[in-house]
Amino acid sequence: MNNTLNAEIPNQLWQQAQTLVQQGWASNLQEVVNEALRRYLESHQDVLTESYIQDDVKWGLHGED
Amino acid sequence: MAKTNHLLIVADAGPLIHLDELSALDVLSDYAAVLVPNAVWLEVHQHRPQALLKINVKLIRQTTPLVSDKVKALSVLYTLHHGEREALELCLTHSVNLLITDDTAARLAAKSMNIATHGTLGLLIRSVRQQLRHPSEVLALLAAIPEQTTLHIRPSLLNEVIAQVAEEWKSKF
Repeated sequence: MNNTLNAEIPNQLWQQAQTLVQQGWASNLQEVVNEALRRYLESHQDVLTESYIQDDVKWGLHGED
Repeated sequence: MAKTNHLLIVADAGPLIHLDELSALDVLSDYAAVLVPNAVWLEVHQHRPQALLKINVKLIRQTTPLVSDKVKALSVLYTLHHGEREALELCLTHSVNLLITDDTAARLAAKSMNIATHGTLGLLIRSVRQQLRHPSEVLALLAAIPEQTTLHIRPSLLNEVIAQVAEEWKSKF
């Protein structure tokens, strides 16, 4: 199942995405948005974020610098 | 007061903005200097210009560096912004081993380059260890994060953190 997303996009990002499509690096804007979202989600997994926060707490309490 | 004057750090926009939202940028005051990449400076200036005017923190604006192939490759892999890219490059060129950032992808990229990273929460908690802030103040600041800042943390995780540090500091009250 696909879902529809309405979002405001800064003009510069919009222009860059349009250029990618016009140059043939992506077939359409939907592909650009899907790929960007997929990459963002891959690198911002909640388990990673939480582990970094736990590291921060440990460092804040007991670090040496 | 314990001083770490020898320490230089590089800052991403997140901690500068979030700490200023809490009026707590002074937790960086014991660092000799905080190097701020040009792209980060511009980002903070856009969202939180007053953060760049604090006299008790030595923020030093850096010119835009030439980004190395290594950092370029990591930027693509981790979809890093300009500021994060410049911050990693500055760490390399200035041999700085601490990047302050709240961005998970930037932390992942830094880790792959053996650069330590810490975020807003760690810096706030550290300020007690460095005797810059009292534990009660920092507990109040941690509790104020959801209301006063644009830093997003799962509420139950934040509550766990607050309970954990309160337990550690209970002898200090």
